[in-house]
Amino acid sequence: MLKTACQEQLLPGTTLQEKWEFAQSAGYDGIELRAKGDLHFQGRLPELRRALADGVVMPTVCVEMLHFFGAFDAEQRRDALVQMKSQLSVIAELGGLGAQTPASYGMFSRRLPPFEPPRGEEEERAILVEGLTELGEHARAEGVTLFLEPLNRYEDHMVNRLDQAVDLIRATGLDSVRIGIDSYHMNIEEADPPGAILAAAPYIGHAQVSDSNRFQPGAGHLDWPAWLGALEAAGYDGYLAVECRLTGDPVDAVRSVPAFLRRNGA
Amino acid sequence: MTRTALGAPATPIPTGRSQRSSAVSVLLSHWTGSGTVPSLTLYPHQWSWDSAFIAIGLRRLSPYRAQRELETLCGAQWGDGRIPHIVFNPAVPPGAYFPGPAFWRSGQAGAAAGAPAGIDTSGIVQPPVHALAAWLVHESDPELSRRRGFLARLYPRLAAWHGYLADHRDLGGQGLAAVVHPWESGMDNSPCWDGPLARVEPAPTGSFRRADLTHGAAADRPTDEDYGRYVGLAARYRDQHYRDTAASHPFAVEDPAFNAFLAVSEHALASIAQSLGRSPVPHRARAGALTEALVARLWDPQSGQFLCRDLVPDALVAERSVSGLLPLAVPGLPDPVVRALLDTLSGPHFDLGAGSTGLVPSYDLLGGAHDASRYWRGPAWFNVNWTLERGLRQYGARAAADRLAGAILTTATASGFAEYVDARTGQALGSRDFGWTAAMALDVLARS
Repeated sequence: MLKTACQEQLLPGTTLQEKWEFAQSAGYDGIELRAKGDLHFQGRLPELRRALADGVVMPTVCVEMLHFFGAFDAEQRRDALVQMKSQLSVIAELGGLGAQTPASYGMFSRRLPPFEPPRGEEEERAILVEGLTELGEHARAEGVTLFLEPLNRYEDHMVNRLDQAVDLIRATGLDSVRIGIDSYHMNIEEADPPGAILAAAPYIGHAQVSDSNRFQPGAGHLDWPAWLGALEAAGYDGYLAVECRLTGDPVDAVRSVPAFLRRNGA
Repeated sequence: MTRTALGAPATPIPTGRSQRSSAVSVLLSHWTGSGTVPSLTLYPHQWSWDSAFIAIGLRRLSPYRAQRELETLCGAQWGDGRIPHIVFNPAVPPGAYFPGPAFWRSGQAGAAAGAPAGIDTSGIVQPPVHALAAWLVHESDPELSRRRGFLARLYPRLAAWHGYLADHRDLGGQGLAAVVHPWESGMDNSPCWDGPLARVEPAPTGSFRRADLTHGAAADRPTDEDYGRYVGLAARYRDQHYRDTAASHPFAVEDPAFNAFLAVSEHALASIAQSLGRSPVPHRARAGALTEALVARLWDPQSGQFLCRDLVPDALVAERSVSGLLPLAVPGLPDPVVRALLDTLSGPHFDLGAGSTGLVPSYDLLGGAHDASRYWRGPAWFNVNWTLERGLRQYGARAAADRLAGAILTTATASGFAEYVDARTGQALGSRDFGWTAAMALDVLARS
C-alpha cells in the first residue's frame, strides 16, 4: 500500500503538531514540508526538532522559492544551490528521505513570447547537469536524495517529461538524484502517464499528486487507478505527497484525499 | 525445489501484490492510447476477442481504460454490424503482421458491407464476448460508466453486432451463427477444422509471407499447409466483398464456443438493456433460443460434450475440442447436459485438475491429432480456462472452480504470462507477456 503525505500549508492548525493530529485523523502517513529561501527552512530547525520529538512524520520537503538551480542568472543559481544544500541537510537531520526542486519555475516558457530562451540547449544541459551533480553529491553525503521535478511547458522550458529527467540523472551518474514526479504536470506532458512511470521506474524517487485541474485528487479527471497501478507496478514504495490547490470546503477537501487515493488503488 | 518441464529450476512464483504488479505491467505496457495489443511483437494491432478479455482484466486496473478498450474496438464496427477481428494500427509498419491491411482491403472490398472509411480492419469476425465484457466492465464502476454514458453508447453497437450474426451468419437456418473461417472461432488450427478445411484450396506457396514465424517457434504455430488454406479462404471471402450467403462459403461451421459466447453475451445484453430502462425481454428470448439451438444442433450425448457441425455435409465433426465444453458458461442448460459436461471435463479426455498445471487443454488429450505444444491442438489457453471457471461456478462446482482459478493465476504468472502453455507441464509457449493472460490473472487476483 502506498503511503500518503500532505503539504503542511494545506493542513488546518497553527503548529506542526496540530496539523499532524488532523493529518493522522484523515488517514495521512506524513507531512511534506515547504522550504522558503534565505535559509528560512534552516531557521525552522528548533520548531522542526520539537515536532520530530512529538512524533510528527516529515519524510520530504519541497522548495518554495522563485529562483532555482537552472536560473538564467548565475547569482541566483549559486544561491539556489546554497538553499537546496541547506534543505537537504535539514531534511537529513529530521531523518527524512529528500528534497524536491524543479530546474526552474515561472522563468521562461517556449509557449509564450519571446519563445526562444536566451541560452542554447547545450549550455542549459551543462548547467543542469552541473547543478544536479553538486546537489546530488551533497545529498549523498547527507544520506538523502534530491528529487528533480519535471514541470509542464508553461512553467519551465527545460525539464518537462520524465525521460528528460532520466537523461539528466544518468549524466550525473548519481543514485542520490531521482525524479520527483507530479501527476498534474505529467497529465499535460506525457502521452501516456502510466507508461511513462513504467519506463522511468528505477529513477522515480518521489511522487506528488494533484488532479488534472491542479485541485485535490478526486476533483478532476485523471485516471487515478491506472496512474497508481503503474506506480505500484514500478515497485515504488515512497509517499504520495498532496501538493495542490483546493476546491470546495478546504478542510473537507484535504480530508477527502487519503480515502480517495486508497479507493483508487493506492 | 520445483522444476520446470525443461529441468531448469523454476523461477519462484510471485504472490499477491507482486503477481498483480507483473500483470499490471503487461497491460500498461501494451496500451496504445486507445486500446491494448495482445503482444508487442506477434500481434501489434487490436484484436476483437482479445480486447474483450483484456477489458475484463483491465477493469480491475482502470475501468476507464477498460471502457475505452471496448469503445475503440466498436468504433471500427462495419455498417452491417460486424465487429472485425483485427483493427489495424496505422502507426505499425505494414510488414509487421500478415495478413495486413493490404490483404484485407477493407475500405474497398468491404465498402458494400459498410466497412468504415479510413480505418483498416480485417473482414472476418471473432467470438462475440463483447457484450459480456461490456457488462462486467460496467459493473466494475457503475458510476463512471453512467457518467460517461458507456452502456448507452455501446448498447446499439452491441445489438447491431448480435443482429449481424443472427441475420447474416445463420447459414444453417436453425438459429445458430456459423463461422466461415477457422480464425473466426479464435481457435485457429483446432483439429475440428481439419476435415472442413480439406475442401479448401490452399493459396499457392510463395504467394504470401507469414509474419507469425518471425516471433514464434514454428513447432508451436500452425503448419504452412494450414496457413495456405487460411489465406486462400480469406482471399475468397474478400473477393466476394465479404458477402454472406450459404453458397458463398466453402467453409461454414457451427462452433459450440462461438455460439456459447453469443448466448452468454445475449444475457449480458439483457442486463445492459434493463439498466438503460429498456426491455430485456427480446434479449432473454434470443438467449433462450440460442441455448435450445445449441443443445438441439450440437450436443452429442455419446461424447458427453458439444461438437462442431460442418454445414457443408451438415454433419457433426467427431473431434473433441474444448470448444465443446465452453457452453458450460451458458445459463439454463438442461441438467443432464450439465452433468455430462462436468464428467467429460474431469474425465480422461480433458483431465480437469489432474495435470501438474490443473488447466484444461484445448483439445482431447487422447485424440489422434493431439499435439501438446501446437497452438489450439492441445495447449491450455487462459481465456478458455477463465470461461470454464465461470461455468463451473455457475453450476455449483465451487471447489473445482476455485482450483481452476488458482491454476490460472499460478500458471499465468509462472509462465511469464505466456500466450498458451503445455497443459500437462506448464511449459510456456507462443508469445510471452500476452495481453489476455495477464488480464485473466488480474481478474482472478481481484476476486481472491
